[in-house]
Amino acid sequence: MASTEGSKLWGGRFVGDTDPIMEMFNASIAYDKRMWDADIRGSKAYVKALEKAELVTTEEMENILHGMDQIHDEWSKGVFEVKPGDEDIHTANERRLKELIGEPAGKLHTGRSRNDQVVTDMRLWLRDAISTLKRNALQLITTMVERAAVEMDVLFPGYTHMQRAQPIRWSHWLLSHAVALSRDLERLHEIRRRVNVLPLGRYTHADTHTAMTELAFDDISINSMDATGQRDFVAEFLFWASLCLTHLSKMAEDLMLYSTKEFSFLVLSDAYSTGSSLMPQKKNADSLELIRSKAGRVFGRCAGFLMTLKGLPSTYNKDLQEDKEAMFDCYDTVHAVLQVTTGVLSTIKINRGVMEAALSPDMLATDLAYYLVRKGVPFREAHGISGKAVFLAESKSILLNQLTVEELRTASPLFSSDVSAVWDYSSSVEQYSAPGGTAKSSVAAQVEHLRTWLKKQAW
Amino acid sequence: IKLWGGRFVGDTDPIMEMFNASIAYDKRMWDADIRGSKAYVKALEKAELVTTEEMENILHGMDQIHDEWSKGVFEVKPGDEDIHTANERRLKELIGEPAGKLHTGRSRNDQVVTDMRLWLRDAISTLKRNALQLITTMVERAAVEMDVLFPGYTHMQRAQPIRWSHWLLSHAVALSRDLERLHEIRRRVNVLPLGRYTHTMFWIDCVFGHVELAFDDISINSMDATGQRDFVAEFLFWASLCLTHLSKMAEDLMLYSTKEFSFLVLSDAYSTGSSLMPQKKNADSLELIRSKAGRVFGRCAGFLMTLKGLPSTYNKDLQEDKEAMFDCYDTVHAVLQVTTGVLSTIKINRGVMEAALSPDMLATDLAYYLVRKGVPFREAHGISGKAVFLAESKSILLNQLTVEELRTASPLFSSDVSAVWDYSSSVEQYSAPGGTAKSSVAAQVEHLRTWLKKQAW
Repeated sequence: MASTEGSKLWGGRFVGDTDPIMEMFNASIAYDKRMWDADIRGSKAYVKALEKAELVTTEEMENILHGMDQIHDEWSKGVFEVKPGDEDIHTANERRLKELIGEPAGKLHTGRSRNDQVVTDMRLWLRDAISTLKRNALQLITTMVERAAVEMDVLFPGYTHMQRAQPIRWSHWLLSHAVALSRDLERLHEIRRRVNVLPLGRYTHADTHTAMTELAFDDISINSMDATGQRDFVAEFLFWASLCLTHLSKMAEDLMLYSTKEFSFLVLSDAYSTGSSLMPQKKNADSLELIRSKAGRVFGRCAGFLMTLKGLPSTYNKDLQEDKEAMFDCYDTVHAVLQVTTGVLSTIKINRGVMEAALSPDMLATDLAYYLVRKGVPFREAHGISGKAVFLAESKSILLNQLTVEELRTASPLFSSDVSAVWDYSSSVEQYSAPGGTAKSSVAAQVEHLRTWLKKQAW
Repeated sequence: IKLWGGRFVGDTDPIMEMFNASIAYDKRMWDADIRGSKAYVKALEKAELVTTEEMENILHGMDQIHDEWSKGVFEVKPGDEDIHTANERRLKELIGEPAGKLHTGRSRNDQVVTDMRLWLRDAISTLKRNALQLITTMVERAAVEMDVLFPGYTHMQRAQPIRWSHWLLSHAVALSRDLERLHEIRRRVNVLPLGRYTHTMFWIDCVFGHVELAFDDISINSMDATGQRDFVAEFLFWASLCLTHLSKMAEDLMLYSTKEFSFLVLSDAYSTGSSLMPQKKNADSLELIRSKAGRVFGRCAGFLMTLKGLPSTYNKDLQEDKEAMFDCYDTVHAVLQVTTGVLSTIKINRGVMEAALSPDMLATDLAYYLVRKGVPFREAHGISGKAVFLAESKSILLNQLTVEELRTASPLFSSDVSAVWDYSSSVEQYSAPGGTAKSSVAAQVEHLRTWLKKQAW
């Protein structure tokens, strides 16, 4: 056996047999104590399952339950004392339980390992977190839908490639983002189903059915090795957060453009803007910039965790400990972003006049082509003719609708005085009346569709 | 205005043309593009924007184009920026003027995303088939090799005895979740993107398009329809998570195939030698399976970065979607098939596996022995740990300790402790759902067989 001299790390860092730096490196209590409530709930359900399996007496169960309630109280009041040696929340709670009720505490861990406990705690925690995020997202979507309903009559330029395309309703723009968020909620619901599974692990003596019912899990995992060694539910949540924030980064980008002096379509509330310590005129949309930024942070968590998962051997490995900080950070970030976005959208003031003044006749060039299509011209050809008209107007430095019928006829003899009906923005948007379009009836239908969908989000 | 260096040819920069064109890779969707256009012209006819005769001409022309592509004789010409342009250009060559009516009321922004959804829907069917084959292979193998025991590991250290089939099924179960997830994604892929199919004056029957192309639904908002690529991002992440699962299995198998473990041997078909060292048998198949998770996740990460902060609706950035989607499909398609081959042909060394079971792996059972005698687990765990230490200090196996020696750790030990030293009894304890007892593993097999039968989507 090596001498005690030989077992000390160079530089004498070892304290007894441990390296204090390794202890800190290894311990997760600093962040996993956040799951104190889930850990207590998990243990309370577990001891009831043990009692049903007659591995603890009813009296022992009552003692343990009572002890756990006291511990719950200490955490709630912020007076729980984490002690050195409390490597993680599971160890800390069990250590405190033993201090409170003595020997019977040692029966709590019968038939389970921390590998089972941690993943049960995480699923409970994440299930609650998902409920909160759902509430946040519903609030945001509702805000957007109701705003769209009120501001239905405002027209402004639609863009593709960031270039003016065709006239659309402002509400159509709002709803395009609401629709993406509704898909996010749908996806969250799918994920929740896979979160809400009791991981079996070694719960092989205790009554799993009791644990499952107590903790309101919908299902039990099929294979114990998979149960302790997979973190799919975390990876899925991290990606969900990444895609959701990518959606919000798109909306933030749009709003930032619209808030520039050049666009002047809308003004952010001061509550969501900041000034410059140097330039007195500045009003920066910091809220939108931060919303846009967080997609990277959150996706970084997702990428980091996926890299951690890659190539791990089966079942539990300490690598998996990287899951919690990633999960907590993504939750906190999405929770904040959804709330701030709701605030921004609730308080934005649109400049209707400027929006409508930004509509220009060249944005009706497609409608000019459709005019010819209705007269029997193949679209491809009509598109070319309309393009000629655009070029002609540009070369004369006049607006498209200022071309005379004679001038238009140089592009095609099919133009006649009835072409004047094309130069109306309201008529233009009203054409798009099929489902999903920008006509008033279509946009109103989208609003109703989403209102109905919102009412159904009872999960 | 000519660019410095005279690169411009007329008004175009040939390097920009190449940079911008997607035909080199999006021609892969030639079939989806034709199907999409055929459905669209039928919708135009219903809306009376083309005559029946024009529709027939266009359909006939598209069929000829389909034929040319199938035979590999379709000629892509300069100016064919993408598959949509190429097909329409060819159609005009074949049938003349009426071809120009095909594009009424739609833009390529609508067309490309319809094509991609059709393509991906088919691709998903293929991947589903591949995955079902793999899962079936694993489940049936697990059924046959039910009696083989070997060490279970945590932290890559020997933990407790388990059934080999339990290990197989742990991976099958993760793959079954992957298929479930793919089914959820397919629902969101199978949506007709509306775009501009929206004119009152000429009502283009989008419902017709949705039925003709067998979409389940129509998108709710036209701006979202052309500007989102969620269905691609989801697919890329799905592929990443699936291959991460397979990287875990590959890692396990690689360990088990080392000389040190010697639990199994890969078929030569899935191994390679060394050009230097004659004894080498490398599990290259497994190494490549493990590697592809990075490639595929890289596609996912790259595309998400591309998506971040884009303004609404269509932007050319979105063109990055296709190569990512194709690469991930090709990779997963290959990996699933090779993995199936590997697992079908692996030979396990049952004797070596069972010889690797050692009595110290029954230390937990020794603790349970005491728990059954009323000792709190925490205490029993400590006592068992003392026994382990005692055996190690005497350089003997745990089951070679005498009852007297065990009694120094706890007076509760008696001669009935000998029942602990049996690996079969050990695994048979774990008889709750999901455990490693024969009944539990058999139940997992049945559960998966039932689930496999239901995968009719």
